[in-house]
Amino acid sequence: MILRLSALSFRTKINCGIVLIVGLIAIPLAYLTWRAAAESLQAETRKRGLVLSENLAMRVSDPMLSMDLLRLKNMVDELDKVDDISYAFILDRQGSVLVHTFTGGFPVELLDVNAPQGDKPTIRLLDTGREFIDDFAAPVVIVGTPFGTARIGLSRTKAEAAADRLALMIVFYSAAAMVAALAPSTLFARRVTERINRLKRHAEEVVKGNLDPRAGPPALRPCSAILDCDKKLCPAYGDKARRCWLTASPDQRGDGPESCRDCPVYREQKGDEIQDLAETFDVMAVSLKTHLDELRRAERVLSRQERLLRTILDATPDFVCLVDENSKYLAVNRAYATFVGQPSGTIVGSTDREIYPEDEGPDMHEENRRVLDAGRPSDREVSLRRPGGPLWLHIVRVPVTDPAGRVIGLLRTARDVTQLKQFQEQLIQSQKMESIGKLAGGVAHEINTPLGVILGYSQLLQEDVPAGSQIRADLQTIEKQAKVCRKIVADLLGFSRQAESAKIEMCFNNSLMEAISLVRHALSLDKIAIVTNLDERMPIIYGDPEKLKQVWINLLSNARDAMAGRGGTVLVRSRLFAEDQKVTAWFADTGPGISPENQSRIFDPFFTTKPVGQGTGLGLSVSFGIINDHGGAIRVETPAPDGFFDAHLTGGEDTPGTVFIVDLPLDHEETLGGPRPADPTEA
Amino acid sequence: MRRREFLLAGLLVPFLPACGHDEDAVRVDLSRREEPTMRQPPKAVTYAYLPQYAHTVSYERHRLLLDYLSRSTGLSLRQVFPDTFEEHVRMVERGEIDISFSNPFAYIRMAASGARAFARIIEPSGKPDFKSQIICRRDNKALVTLADCRGKRWMAVDQSSAGGYIYALGEFYDNGIRRSDFAEITFAPGPGGKQEKVVLAVFAGACDIGSIRDGTLDILRERIDIGQLRILAESKSYPGWVYSARLGFPPETTARIARAFFALNYDRPDDATILTTAGMRGIIPANDADYASVRRLAEKLGLDATAGGDE
Repeated sequence: MILRLSALSFRTKINCGIVLIVGLIAIPLAYLTWRAAAESLQAETRKRGLVLSENLAMRVSDPMLSMDLLRLKNMVDELDKVDDISYAFILDRQGSVLVHTFTGGFPVELLDVNAPQGDKPTIRLLDTGREFIDDFAAPVVIVGTPFGTARIGLSRTKAEAAADRLALMIVFYSAAAMVAALAPSTLFARRVTERINRLKRHAEEVVKGNLDPRAGPPALRPCSAILDCDKKLCPAYGDKARRCWLTASPDQRGDGPESCRDCPVYREQKGDEIQDLAETFDVMAVSLKTHLDELRRAERVLSRQERLLRTILDATPDFVCLVDENSKYLAVNRAYATFVGQPSGTIVGSTDREIYPEDEGPDMHEENRRVLDAGRPSDREVSLRRPGGPLWLHIVRVPVTDPAGRVIGLLRTARDVTQLKQFQEQLIQSQKMESIGKLAGGVAHEINTPLGVILGYSQLLQEDVPAGSQIRADLQTIEKQAKVCRKIVADLLGFSRQAESAKIEMCFNNSLMEAISLVRHALSLDKIAIVTNLDERMPIIYGDPEKLKQVWINLLSNARDAMAGRGGTVLVRSRLFAEDQKVTAWFADTGPGISPENQSRIFDPFFTTKPVGQGTGLGLSVSFGIINDHGGAIRVETPAPDGFFDAHLTGGEDTPGTVFIVDLPLDHEETLGGPRPADPTEA
Repeated sequence: MRRREFLLAGLLVPFLPACGHDEDAVRVDLSRREEPTMRQPPKAVTYAYLPQYAHTVSYERHRLLLDYLSRSTGLSLRQVFPDTFEEHVRMVERGEIDISFSNPFAYIRMAASGARAFARIIEPSGKPDFKSQIICRRDNKALVTLADCRGKRWMAVDQSSAGGYIYALGEFYDNGIRRSDFAEITFAPGPGGKQEKVVLAVFAGACDIGSIRDGTLDILRERIDIGQLRILAESKSYPGWVYSARLGFPPETTARIARAFFALNYDRPDDATILTTAGMRGIIPANDADYASVRRLAEKLGLDATAGGDE
């Protein structure tokens, strides 16, 4: 029922309220009036009855004394003409009826139902079955002597009927008033509901996002016109759509509408509560629109900043994540998600125990816990087992605190330092090699002189002994081994860069061809062919021809050694890259290639895969040093890139091959033509 | 919920008294009807007082006297109340009144039909005579002497009233004023209380002069301001009120009653009360000859004493 009432329209409620109010007023009023009127009428009836009866008793004295029955009869008949007097009769002192107003005989039961008490009149309520009658019995007393009784019957039913008519009339007029009230109340309700519905439609428009419509009525004149105000910067200036006490700047409107009560603008434009609501609603809509615009702008800025931040975070190769005080992930960047191998959505909400393997997760979690508990950053390098080798991570944990200083999480940044670790190892190795080189160079320099003496004396002694003798043969062996030693010493000196370097402008191709011509025959003995593909522009470099030739011979010798016993092809190619101011040479063989574990060590001094006595392990390291000394670079690719060799070079065999690539800088701007693409596959 | 109950109770409280009649009604069946029959009064000597006053005054005045007569004579007496002087006279003539107490002029009329006086009263003034008083309002400056009454409105008690009309009329006659000299002559309306009505009419200004028997003003002294009235003139004195027995009333009964009357002594407190209440000082014997002066006055005025007057 309550729900149904609440669903009634406002207009119906107002009408119902009016009806209820009028009804609540009219019905009790009618009832109370009826009651009061009935009681008043009853009291009046009793008074009137008493007066009438006593008056009759007084008036009948003379006729009774003279037994003038006609006058007595006239007296009671006069009373009987009164509407609510049911009867009247006179009794003499013996109780005999002298006169009465009844027709068809006197009702005998009426005689004894009432009698005066002494000289006082009495009243009895009689029920005749058809109506209630107040019976009044007044004594007829003459000079203190009772002479009879005057009896009058007043119909209470008729008296009450008058009260009923009064109540009915009140009800009728109340109903008429109710009907009359309904018309203005309907008009009033329609007026109010129209305005409320307009507000409702406006609210719906606001809900839809349309904040432009106005719910309040426009003013005829803006406040600036009424006050002749020229403050054009005031928001209310010239605004007829909104009220100035709601929109004006604070310095204009003081303490708000309360301070505007005496203002002529307020007095002219102030409306009722609904208009106030509509105007406030308009101001709210405008304020909302302003705030929404600001919010959208802020949202765009925030979104952009978020994108930037996200981009930064996602672009960084570091693994960045934010975890809460329970070590649960709150956010991760793309690199971290890729590192973990799970989408970021899956990671968020989980912990390190769930993300990492069983032997790593607890440690990560414990470290997080320590930082969260201690509130101090930590900086650690950890090694994780991963397929393909250990993975080194440099992990920085920074606690995140709230404004109160309480730790609410931590920002963890991890960086893959595996390569750095390798570089560090290589650096250590290089430093070690450098020390060894310096040592070896020093030793070689000291050995070189006595070795020259040994070689000189062995050659001199050979001249002193006959040819073919054992002594000569021994001396020759000494000489040969001494030369080997000199070679080693020379290499050591070269490796330690203690040998002299004489750089001149030289033709790069000529240097290559000179070295090739020196070894071509020796390689051919091992069924190894040398194929050249040199840049026709004859690039000129600034370098030491002897040392570079030594490099080329070393590389060609390595190629031969790689293909020893099996034969093959060595492809030598050169290209000029004028734009990069460099010239590059490729030395490719069709050998078996270099194993991955050896690739990083081939430039180390004394590293060799050859049997003992066949190599010193200094060739590539010396070459590395010479190229570095020329400002160039040497690197190896194995197996050779696909398509590097033509099929006829490999004899159709699928061999990995190895390519040494040497880059050397040009000593001046080449003007030998436009750049050519450094296509390593180009034959 | 409690608040709603209180509200409902508050709304219903005014209706609670409507739950029933707070007065017991006596059940009466009005359908049982009978035509009442009045009881006949017992046989008694009828006694009437010429209705110069209201019946109740007449009753009040003579109630004690009748009680005394009943006690002293052993007779059963009943006071009857004719409405007018004329009716009183007629009732005596018809024998419906045995003992009549009337003024002298009424008596001479009744005497014409055979009634005979046997007693007369001593007026409260102590004399057996009484007179008529002509009164006017004290503020009526136009009335100084009887001659000023010409052209004025005169109200008298009754055409048969001795003190209230005839004695005054005789006084006017003796002063040369005839009835035609008055603007109008009216008589007190209605039954009974006629002396008082005249006084009240003069007091109210309904007439200029009024004629009453002496003693009337004293009756009204407690009811109106007698000081507002002035006695303009008084008539000569004539014999006072008279007791007469109708024609045919047993003389011995008349004698018993007369003895009882004459036995009343004003000096005895009980008798004084009876006499004072009846407006007299005593009752003395009388006969028809005592009223010859009244008969002469009637003749002088041309009144028909044998037929109730010419009025």
